[in-house]
Amino acid sequence: MNFMSEKTKVVPCSGIGKVYGLMAREAVLTAVHELCPGKAETVCLGYIVTGDREAKEKIEGFDCVTVDGCPKMCAAKNVKIAGGVIKEEIKVMDTVKEIKSKNYGSATKLEADGEKVVAAIAAKIAGNIA
Amino acid sequence: MSDEKIGIISCSGEECLGGTITRLATRKVMEEMRANVAVTLCLPLFLAGGEEERSFAKVFPTISVDGCDKLCAKRGTEKHSGKINGSLDVSKIIGTENALNTKVVMNKHLKSEHFQMVDKVAKEIVKMMDSLDPNANGPKKSGCCCCGGKC
Repeated sequence: MNFMSEKTKVVPCSGIGKVYGLMAREAVLTAVHELCPGKAETVCLGYIVTGDREAKEKIEGFDCVTVDGCPKMCAAKNVKIAGGVIKEEIKVMDTVKEIKSKNYGSATKLEADGEKVVAAIAAKIAGNIA
Repeated sequence: MSDEKIGIISCSGEECLGGTITRLATRKVMEEMRANVAVTLCLPLFLAGGEEERSFAKVFPTISVDGCDKLCAKRGTEKHSGKINGSLDVSKIIGTENALNTKVVMNKHLKSEHFQMVDKVAKEIVKMMDSLDPNANGPKKSGCCCCGGKC
């Protein structure tokens, strides 16, 4: 019997090389902790990558929203491999094109325009969660 | 100290503070403490990327940095890329209760006590880097970030 939570799983890439990975991460955490508590939760992408049965069980057959910071689409690809049902693949770059700035911050710390992108993506995530 | 590159793979886990600390400590080592030596790669790229990404641990002597005792970065790297040269479990450095804190995970919620944890873990990463034989994996390619030696 599967006792896993029915909450929508929201998974960011959390890419470590560029600011876009941090924006993906912070947007997902904003959505899960602040905008949709009780309806959404995140699952460590690193855990999914291990291929552990327990990690797969957290994702397989569940509604998922992924947020990726680069064209490699790590979150979406890994969630698909684990059997997640992807409702929406959000690309950080789409929102970056809408909120143009010369300084979003770095992969370590966001500046004000980076926070604006985070808020916009978090709202997009929330819009995909019933 | 040798200027050969050393790889650091952090779990960057999203579910608890330990993952946030691994990510920030790895960034701190890359940006401030061993800027010309430390290189990294996003852990999920081992599956989402190609052969070049999967060769990371074969190319660079590699340290994994995990936020909890599931050791996803260590196990994921060894499963998809190659044997690593050292591993750190952050929960052993900052305490399991701190590492598994699910309330404080976002960067914007971090306080000075959490940045002290980042500093502590970064020092442990550097200590481990300095103890490695940089030539352990044979001649290295150069690299600077998450490119796996491409740039």
